[in-house]
Amino acid sequence: MQWRHKDLLDLDTLTAEEIRHIIKTAQPMKEILSRPMKKLPTLRGKNVVLLFYESSTRTRTSFETAAKILGADTTNFSVAVSSVNKGESLLDTAKTLQAMNVDLVIVRHSSSGAAEFLANVLEAGVINGGDGQHAHPTQALLDFYTLQEKLGGFEGKKIVIVGDILHSRVARSNVLGLKKLGADVTLVGPPTLLPDEMKYLGVKLSYDLDKELPGADAVMALRLQLERQQSGLFPSIREYSKLYGLSLERLKKTGKKTIVMHPGPMNRGVEIMSDLADSVQSVIEEQVTNGVAVRMALIYLLIGGGTGNVVD
Amino acid sequence: MWWIKKALVLDPAQGYTGERDVLVKDGFILKVGNFLEEDVPEFFGQENLEGVKIVEAAGKYLFPGLIDVHVHLREPGQEDKEDIRSGSRAAVRGGFTSVLAMANTKPVIDQRALVEFVRLQGERAGMARVYPVAAVTKGFQGQELVEMMDIREGGAVAFSDDGLGIQNAEIMRLAFEYAKLTGCPIISHCEDENLAARGVMRRGEASARLGLKGIPASAESVMVARDVLLAGEAGGKLHIAHVSTKESVMIIRTAKKLGIDVTAEVNPHHLLFSDQDVGLTRTDLKVNPPLPTKEDQEALLEGLLDGTIDMLATDHAPHTWEEKAKPFPEAPFGINSLETALAVVWQELVEKGKLPALKVIELWSRNPAQRFNLPGGTLETGSPADLVLFDPAYKERITAESMESKAQNTPFLGQELQGFPVMTWVGGKLVMADRKVICN
Repeated sequence: MQWRHKDLLDLDTLTAEEIRHIIKTAQPMKEILSRPMKKLPTLRGKNVVLLFYESSTRTRTSFETAAKILGADTTNFSVAVSSVNKGESLLDTAKTLQAMNVDLVIVRHSSSGAAEFLANVLEAGVINGGDGQHAHPTQALLDFYTLQEKLGGFEGKKIVIVGDILHSRVARSNVLGLKKLGADVTLVGPPTLLPDEMKYLGVKLSYDLDKELPGADAVMALRLQLERQQSGLFPSIREYSKLYGLSLERLKKTGKKTIVMHPGPMNRGVEIMSDLADSVQSVIEEQVTNGVAVRMALIYLLIGGGTGNVVD
Repeated sequence: MWWIKKALVLDPAQGYTGERDVLVKDGFILKVGNFLEEDVPEFFGQENLEGVKIVEAAGKYLFPGLIDVHVHLREPGQEDKEDIRSGSRAAVRGGFTSVLAMANTKPVIDQRALVEFVRLQGERAGMARVYPVAAVTKGFQGQELVEMMDIREGGAVAFSDDGLGIQNAEIMRLAFEYAKLTGCPIISHCEDENLAARGVMRRGEASARLGLKGIPASAESVMVARDVLLAGEAGGKLHIAHVSTKESVMIIRTAKKLGIDVTAEVNPHHLLFSDQDVGLTRTDLKVNPPLPTKEDQEALLEGLLDGTIDMLATDHAPHTWEEKAKPFPEAPFGINSLETALAVVWQELVEKGKLPALKVIELWSRNPAQRFNLPGGTLETGSPADLVLFDPAYKERITAESMESKAQNTPFLGQELQGFPVMTWVGGKLVMADRKVICN
C-alpha cells in the first residue's frame, strides 16, 4: 500500500489497514535486529533529529537505534544543552530545524499538541514520541505488534488496561487503535484516575480490577506517577497497589495464559509485582525489542520512500 | 451639529424601535423624532441648515454607543499587546463608545496616580471614553484592600482583581463592605484556583480526548455562589464577570430573587464557541473561563433573555502573535474581541432570531450605563451623543491590516462577517466613518 502520511501524530488519523501495514513492515525489521550485523544502507544520507523536551531513556534510545540501523544520521537535540534553556520558543526551534533541512523530527514534549504544532510548521516529517497526556502512537503501535505476535490477532480479544488512565497518553493511543483493530478493551482504575469523561473513548470503564480479569487475553499495567498521591488523587501507594497492583496470584483470575504488558519504566511493587514482571507471562522485554522494530518501520515508511522492500 | 435622517433607531431606554431622525448639537442629543425639513433649522436655533451635517441613514440602525464593561487595554506595561490608544480606536471601530479598562496591567492599577494615568491616556487618545477599573487588593495579592475612596476620586468606576479570583473569602467580604463607601460595584472574576488547578480548557469529554488539563465548571460556580452570599451579607454591589456555566446562571437567578444586589455579564465567545470547538492548535480559542458546553450556552442565552444576565461584555484580551503561536497548554488565555464582537453577535444571534436587536442594545449599552453609573446608554434629549450607525448588510473580511487593535488573536481572522458599525460618534464628535477611525 502507498503510505500517505508526512507525520505520525496520533492513532486517530490511521486506518486499521494502515496499522496492519505498519505491523507487517515491522516484521522484517525485527529479523534484522537479530542479525549480528545490524546496519542497512536504506536511509543513508537522511538526517533524523531527536527533540526530547521530557526525560526519556527507552523511547529516545529506541528511536535512535532504529534510525541508525536503517543507516540514517541522528542528532540529539537535548534540552539541557540547547538554546531552549535560553528561552527559545518551540516555534523558533522548529524554524531552526527547518533551516537545517532535516528529514525527520522525533519529538517528545510535556504539552499536549506540541507534535502537531511542529508538524504544522515543518516541511520535515514529525513522529510524536509522546505529547503531554494526549498521544504516544509509537508505544501503542509496538504494543499492537506485541499483541499480534502473542495473540495472533485482535478480533474479540479482551484487553484490560489498568492504572492512571486520566493522565496516560499510552492508554489513549492504545484504545484508539485497539478499537479499530476489533479488540474488546476495558479500562480499569480508581474513579479519580478514571473519571467519567473518559467514556469518550467508547469502551468499558470499571473501578474493579478483579471483576474484569476473567477472560482477559492481555493485561497492561500503566506506570503510576507517584507524585499524584501528593496531589490527593489516591490516598496511598499501599491502597493503590492493593486495589490495582498486578501479581502472579491475581492474574490467575483470568483463567487463561494471559500476557502482561507494561510501557515502562516499572514501579515494581506498586502497579506490578516482581514475581509477575519477571514471569513467563510477562512480555515487557519483548515490547522493548518490538519497539525498535516498529520504529524502524515507521521511520522507513515516513522517509524511506514508501513501498519498496527494505530487506532487499 | 448633526442631522441623522431616517435611521432605524434602537433605544431601549425609551423602549422603541422605528424610523426616526436624530439631531445632535454641542455633543448632546437634541431631539429624536420624525421631522419636516422646514422645522429642523429652528430646532438648531438657526435660520437655515448651515453647519449641520446630514447623514442619510435609511436602512441602517442607530443606537446609543455600546458600553463594554470588560476590556484589557494592557497599558501600562504590556504595550506590545495593546495600548490605550490602539484599544480605544479598536473600540470605536467595533461600535463601543465607552470601555472599562481592567486593572491587571504592569504595574497593577492599585493607586490613584495609576488610575489617573489610565484616564488621562484615554482622554489623550480621544476615541472611546476609557473608564479605569481599579484593583480590589494591593498588587492583586488578595490580601489588603486598595485605597478605594482616593481611587474613586481619581476616576475609577469599579474595583476588580479580574484576571485572578480573590481566594480569601474574608478579604472578599471586607471588599464588599468597604466598597459601600464608594457606591461602586466590585467586579468578581469567579475562579477557585484549587479547582481550576492550572487547567487550560473546560473539563469534560473534549478535554479528555485532547489530553488537555481540564477546568471543572465548579471552579467558577462555587465562587459565584460564595460571592453572592458574601455580597448579600455585606450589602455591597456585586458584578460577576464572564459567566460561563449553567450553574452560575441558576445561582444568580436565585440571588436576584433573594434581593441581592448582583449583576452579571456574558462574553459573546461563550455563546458562540463551545468546548467541542477547541483543538490542539486552536490557541485562538484558549480563553478563561474556558469555552463551555452547549448546555451551558443554552442556559446563558436563557439568562440573557429572562434578565438573569444583565449585560454582554467582550473581555477583549489582546495577545501578540508569538504568544499565541505555542502549544495549547503554554499559550496565554484571551480572545481579541472589540472589533468583531458586535458583528458576530448580530450575525449569529440577532439575524438568527435568538436575541432581539433592541435587547442587544439594552444588554450592551443601557444596562452597563445604569449599573456603573455612566453617561450614555440612551438617546433621551440631553444625553451625550455617543452614537453608532450600524449597517446590517455591510460585509468585511477580518484581517490583520484592517484591525486597529495591535493584536490579532481573534478566531475570526481571515473570515468574512456581516453587520458592522459604519459611523461612530463620541460626545457628538465623529470618530469613525466608513470603517476607518478618524484621526485628529
